[in-house]
Amino acid sequence: MSAMLEVADVSRRFGGLMAVDGVTTSVGEGELVGLIGPNGAGKTTLFNLISGFTPVSSGEIRYRGEKISGLKPSVIASRGISRTFQNLRVFPNMTVFDNVSVGAVGAIGQSPWQAIRSGSKRAKEISERSWEALEKVQLTRYANELAANLAYGKRKYLEIGRALAMKPDLLVLDEPAAGLNDSETAELAAFIKELHAGGLTVMLVEHDMGLVMSICERIVVLASGRKIADAEPAVVRQTREVLEAYLGVDE
Amino acid sequence: MSKDFIQSAGLKLVILAVLFVALPLLLVSLDKGYIYQVVMLALIFSLLAVSLQLVTGIAGLLHLGHAAFYGVGAYIAALAGADYGIGFTLGLPLAGLGAAAIAFVVALPTMRLVSIYFAVATLGIGQMIFLVLQNWVEVTKGPNGVSLFSGIDLFGYTVDSELGIYFVVATIVCISIWVIHRLSHSYYGNALRSLREDDQCADAMGINTVRLKIESFMISSFFAGIAGALWAYTTGYISPVDFDFAESILILAMVVVGGLGSIPGAIIGALLLILLPEALRGVGDMRNIIVGFVLFFSILFLPKGLFGEVPALNFIRRQMGAAWQDNPDKQKVGWK
Amino acid sequence: MIDPYYLQQLTIGISLGMVYALMAIGFTLIFGVLNVVNFAHGEVYTIGAFAGIMAIAAFGPPFLVIVFIVLAVGALAGFGLERLAFRPFRRFSDEASLKSRAMREATLMSSLAMSIIAREAMELLFGSEFQTIDISYLINKPIELGPVTIVNGDIIIFVVSVLMLGGLQWLLKYSSIGLSIRAVSNNPLGAKYVGINTDRTIVLTFVIGSMMGALAGILVGLYYGAVFPSMGFIPGVKAFVAMVMGGLSSIPGAVIAALVLGVAESMSTTFVSSVWADMVAYLFLIVTLVFFPQGLFGARRERV
Repeated sequence: MSAMLEVADVSRRFGGLMAVDGVTTSVGEGELVGLIGPNGAGKTTLFNLISGFTPVSSGEIRYRGEKISGLKPSVIASRGISRTFQNLRVFPNMTVFDNVSVGAVGAIGQSPWQAIRSGSKRAKEISERSWEALEKVQLTRYANELAANLAYGKRKYLEIGRALAMKPDLLVLDEPAAGLNDSETAELAAFIKELHAGGLTVMLVEHDMGLVMSICERIVVLASGRKIADAEPAVVRQTREVLEAYLGVDE
Repeated sequence: MSKDFIQSAGLKLVILAVLFVALPLLLVSLDKGYIYQVVMLALIFSLLAVSLQLVTGIAGLLHLGHAAFYGVGAYIAALAGADYGIGFTLGLPLAGLGAAAIAFVVALPTMRLVSIYFAVATLGIGQMIFLVLQNWVEVTKGPNGVSLFSGIDLFGYTVDSELGIYFVVATIVCISIWVIHRLSHSYYGNALRSLREDDQCADAMGINTVRLKIESFMISSFFAGIAGALWAYTTGYISPVDFDFAESILILAMVVVGGLGSIPGAIIGALLLILLPEALRGVGDMRNIIVGFVLFFSILFLPKGLFGEVPALNFIRRQMGAAWQDNPDKQKVGWK
Repeated sequence: MIDPYYLQQLTIGISLGMVYALMAIGFTLIFGVLNVVNFAHGEVYTIGAFAGIMAIAAFGPPFLVIVFIVLAVGALAGFGLERLAFRPFRRFSDEASLKSRAMREATLMSSLAMSIIAREAMELLFGSEFQTIDISYLINKPIELGPVTIVNGDIIIFVVSVLMLGGLQWLLKYSSIGLSIRAVSNNPLGAKYVGINTDRTIVLTFVIGSMMGALAGILVGLYYGAVFPSMGFIPGVKAFVAMVMGGLSSIPGAVIAALVLGVAESMSTTFVSSVWADMVAYLFLIVTLVFFPQGLFGARRERV
């Protein structure tokens, strides 16, 4: 398996705190990788480093062999990495369809000239791609509803739909199950598996172990900014450091 | 499909018929210079409000210096005409491009500012431009203003009757508003709205946020410049006070009263705030205080405006035939 | 030896700066507790000036009495302003909506609307031109200090401003009102949970800020002998610039920035025509926002 995303000895310092401390890991083409760790382990920071929201203090992140650390989030996104946010960030005053179309227009692009010309091919392409993404997340019947009026669980899918409209190669989900109940979480797990089965590489951050253990092929565990495990779920479950990190077991 | 087409074409025809047949007939039958001025003012301010809507209502950048760019356009057109013999045909695009060029220069450093900091920066920039218009006497003739006696030359023909000027102004305002309508009611417009909603999130969607902000600011200023040139040619005399802070606030009030994010709302707001003070002219010069009251009460009681964004977008999608509906559900969504 | 001319300009600059400081504090206090820009602050300044000259015209009281009348009118203006233009938009009191952009922009525009209404109402009542003021009240009597000639207004402005600034510092540090203002600035929700009446604190902040703004108005009015309805706009913008330069929520920062601004402005007239002096403030504003988003002195916590 060739490495799609490589994180090479990446650190991020906030003042005196090492939020991410020399992490090295990789995501292979077609993998479904989970990133877990207790609160404050640096998971979201690592995500923000990958998507370019936070600049790295040292180290390098490469995507398909090219360095992406230091690039703007929009450039990283257009290379094929799309992400969702931990605290739902849909565009509340736009319709569901328009929300998704932002992902599509971000990936396909539309210049002012193309916008002025009515009925252009590009507009059609964006429309079709947005509709396709809405179908994937089963929100077509809410297409003209304002995103703010959507139920919480549906907004999660909307955010994923918006990311899918970019036709990413790597989908990065930040705590997708946060705030969902057990049955919703199970549904979401099945949905993520389905996306993965469709050929998408997925990386997801979870605070809670359950979802990750059930669907991920490989799990990276962070604690206090350091990587303490990187293996299959069954192995991770047995790793002493992981148990210590989660349960606070002493030597 | 055909029914929708007829409906949307019908609405457009009605608008054009009112502007180019009914109103001119009315103007000719009344034959009063004053009425021409009011109608022209309403047209020009509709364009100003719509152009501000693009940057403030749609891209979400609270802009408190729009009148300054309007002034730049007016001065470029007037000075080109009065001092350099450059007529309307060339002066009009020059006015737009000049305003857009200045917008580009000031946008580069300020576009990273958010919310009220951007608002205050635009206030400062507007005031700086105003000071230049007021005090750079060698070029702008300072507080005395510039008089422009030439009529509108259109590729060799000279238009100087009031009716003729009306037709020119109405045509250019219509084309300009149509362009802004296309920009706002498209996926490009959706990208602009995403900046307003959450620009960091838009960034993660592959949207080049800084570039888009600069573009929308330049386009908006371009049309403000066009409006300025039209104003210079309709009144024949401009002075710095036409473009001061109060004027920026007047345009902002139109946008807010009409509904932030709504293009038809901006036109309604402009018509209201131009025509209402004129209607109340008998009571005295109450324009500014009316603007203040209308602005205050609309923020308080009608925060979404007279014709808010959501109904306006629905209206444009359904009635103006701008939606994409080539999907299995035949829903009218997105943009064509 | 320094050219006396510069000393002269320096004195004028300090007087100007002190007036900006009095206004900037109003901005800073209000920004501190509500995180909003009060656009009508300039009109409070105008109202202060008008209250003062009306008192003079009506019964010619001694200077100190004028000061107290102006302070009272300023307090009233601040109270009314908060009620009309700010409170209606604080419908929800959770942290998110208290600091939300929608609330900030709505109050920015409602205070803008209030400022238009106040200014235009004054124009309708008094006309837009300079008002006549009893000459004996003007504070522009020259005083020779060696080679430099200052006016008694420079001294009055300096003394009054220092007293007000000192009083404010004392109020913020040692009184219970000051404590609650500082608490609400730091964390409005936390302050509410520990039993501080946030609405009352916000009103008091407006009252205190507006008293200072109104006082600045009458001082400048009597210093230049120029009182007119639109006199508040430009000082309002400059005080705002001082607040931004000072780091938004730092009172000492705002005072120092206001002095820097005042001196820079009066010195600039040495090099360029005085009509361009206002340009200095706008340049300071843009340069500060773009290059020193943290302010020149304070650390700001939010994204600019």
